[in-house]
Amino acid sequence: MAEASRLNLPAAPNTGAKPRTVGRAEPVLVVRAVIIVFILLFWEAIAQSGLLYRDVVPSLLAIGAAIVKLLSAPDYYWHLWVTASEVGAGLIVGGLSGLLIGLALGGNRVLSKAFEPYLYYLGPTPKIIFFPVMIMWFGVGPGSKIAMGAISCFFPIALSTAAGMRQIDKVLIRVGQSFRASAWQMATKIYLPAMRHPIINGVRLGLGVAIIGTLLAETKLSNQGVGFLIIQAYSLFDMPRMYAMLIVLFVLAIGANALVGRLGGLSAIRQL
Amino acid sequence: MPSVATLPKSGAAGAQTAADAGILVVDGIVKQFDTPEGPLVAVDRVSLSVRPGEFLAVIGPSGCGKSTLFNVIGGLIDRYQGAVTVGGETVRGPHPAIGMVFQEESTFPWRTVIENVAFPLEIAGIARKERLEKAKRFIALVGLNGFENRYPAELSGGMRQRVAIARTLASEPKILLMDEPFASLDEQTRLLLGDKVLQIQQDLQQTTLLITHNITEAVQLADRILVMTYRPGRVKRMVEIDLPRPRSSDVVSSEAFGRYVAEIWSDLREEATRGMQDEESRTLHAGAAS
Amino acid sequence: MNAAALTRSRIFPLALGLGALAAAILAVEALIRIGVINRFIVPLPSQIALAFERVIVEEDIAGRFRLTLFEAFTAGAMITVVGVSVGLLLFRINILRQATETWVAALASAPTVLMYPLFLVIFGRSAWTIIMMGFVAGVPPVILKTIEGLTGTRRVLINVGKSFNLTGPQLFAKILFPAALPTIFVGIRLGLIFTLINVVGVEFLINFGGLGQLINDLAERYDLPGTYAAISFVILVSVCFFVLTEWIERWLRPVD
Repeated sequence: MAEASRLNLPAAPNTGAKPRTVGRAEPVLVVRAVIIVFILLFWEAIAQSGLLYRDVVPSLLAIGAAIVKLLSAPDYYWHLWVTASEVGAGLIVGGLSGLLIGLALGGNRVLSKAFEPYLYYLGPTPKIIFFPVMIMWFGVGPGSKIAMGAISCFFPIALSTAAGMRQIDKVLIRVGQSFRASAWQMATKIYLPAMRHPIINGVRLGLGVAIIGTLLAETKLSNQGVGFLIIQAYSLFDMPRMYAMLIVLFVLAIGANALVGRLGGLSAIRQL
Repeated sequence: MPSVATLPKSGAAGAQTAADAGILVVDGIVKQFDTPEGPLVAVDRVSLSVRPGEFLAVIGPSGCGKSTLFNVIGGLIDRYQGAVTVGGETVRGPHPAIGMVFQEESTFPWRTVIENVAFPLEIAGIARKERLEKAKRFIALVGLNGFENRYPAELSGGMRQRVAIARTLASEPKILLMDEPFASLDEQTRLLLGDKVLQIQQDLQQTTLLITHNITEAVQLADRILVMTYRPGRVKRMVEIDLPRPRSSDVVSSEAFGRYVAEIWSDLREEATRGMQDEESRTLHAGAAS
Repeated sequence: MNAAALTRSRIFPLALGLGALAAAILAVEALIRIGVINRFIVPLPSQIALAFERVIVEEDIAGRFRLTLFEAFTAGAMITVVGVSVGLLLFRINILRQATETWVAALASAPTVLMYPLFLVIFGRSAWTIIMMGFVAGVPPVILKTIEGLTGTRRVLINVGKSFNLTGPQLFAKILFPAALPTIFVGIRLGLIFTLINVVGVEFLINFGGLGQLINDLAERYDLPGTYAAISFVILVSVCFFVLTEWIERWLRPVD
């Protein structure tokens, strides 16, 4: 009977490992480098040619200098901090309420059918048009910007949370019930972990639109923040500075998006 | 259809000796579902009694209500007639003395093996160090030592089911309730896993109630087999399996084994045929109506 | 009705949703009238309703609507032509696709609309700024979905074509492209939605154009009921547009 006690069943292959194709990455890098170089050369050619109105296409040197100047000025970081905290606050307000509403709608079929259509159809609308109302409600300070960020990210987060609730494997809920987990334990140890992917995707999307909503509001009416700086550069016709700010902004926004994506990717190895 | 087995009176605290008294008593369960086509009786007056340390298998064709019975006993379904008692206590909702192992993939994909197995202990509020140590023991019991820190995605289906079994065993239930736990596994894995379960059950003297549709599995593992009819599910017959203990999967080649299987199949075939005819006629009518 | 039937019925949730909305509007009306909500911050819903008519008549809603639609459709045509062509190109030239696909995906989530001051400089305060912003916003999903549709054609369908000795161009025209079309339409629909959102948004921001500009105008005039009415109108247009594109997409893909 000793043999029976040792099960020699083969383990499944580790699904976390990705096959490495060495040497394949290189042509792609070359092509990318070529494209970038080509664009830069093309740009510089237009800049030098004087074809377009002065400074609409500034020389790369001017843009580079402006980036350096921007990043070495301490007050840029102050404005960046203002924007970042507005986005953060908007994400918290919109995200938490989106999460709660999403949980409520996802958990109840009737509520979902009654109210989710509102979210679904109101989602793809230009939120910036609510800005005048936000100003009336929250004033011309950071409050209205935070509100813009919040209503921008509320919708994608609520909708992905609701969808996430519905796609939870029902058996996992029964496991929790069979072990008599309390409601709080069910929520924190089963529901939320089971929904981590839809939630992270929702937050990723929410972050993107929160950034857009907040910044647009800053460009429209503000005296601080990155959006304000961009409009200021526009009104001063300081094009190199505007390009510099847009470039830095894009790098930060894409970086933030990638970071949240990584968070989701890390847990992807564990997924069944 | 005659109801079977000795039924100690409900509320059997202080009844006959523990050996006679059923530790799990299911008394006259009737469960009806409301469907768009009208009320459907899934389980009709099913009664059974499981003795301590016994391995009882419930077998029936698909659609005989055995999963419903599983959920009723486990306390996941309410609003039924009849009663389920464990050690004299009526079951109203999931009971600490009953541990459930589900048919589907039920390991938590975001937790490691040891975190999965420690889950019931975590729910019960046991301290981390203690529960991880305890979980290690049950992981070893199902033969998965070395895999404590792996994630379910890295394991095969059979290994994941072992994790699920270890997790339920970690809550040290008086009664282990399993709903077709090997349904998604291939035959060889099933036989070997069956061996494992048998061994664990014998080591722990674990009272077990296994729901299955697989006759060889039932005869291999059980002391008694309860055969159910097709919907509405009733008790058709109770069969005593007199194969020697301790058992291993070698028993499948014995003559007695073959006879038991044949005996149960003859009972089951009638029910399974009825089931198939019922399905066919419903599909026919659904097609004609659309 | 028991809980199960309630869950399955279609009328009850609809009634619940509409009823809750109506109740909310009535509650707001009541709260403003009794002074709990400041009527200079939130106008009476009844006044907003009246403003609807005024706005439609006095502010030439029809003309503004036409202008916004013109901008949106121009941008929409551009994203379709450019998006599908670029998608096709990237599909054909594998190495280009591998190099640039992630860039396009990053562009899709980047705050491109923040470039509107730049476009203002280039195109001035005109419809072209708006159209170009709509274009930039809507083109990435079209490209990505075109690539997805073409690369996602099931292997077996291509093999069927090869087994019938179809030439390269025939394989593309008769199998690849038709198979990719549903996904391409999804991309165009997504692109159109982003385009419309950005068109109206930029109209508001630069105070030029049709409906978006109307909201900005009314807000600057402190016409509260008018502003709320105009916002509601734009939301309505946006929702109708969304539903319309959904219907068209469903009509174009009867099987799925």
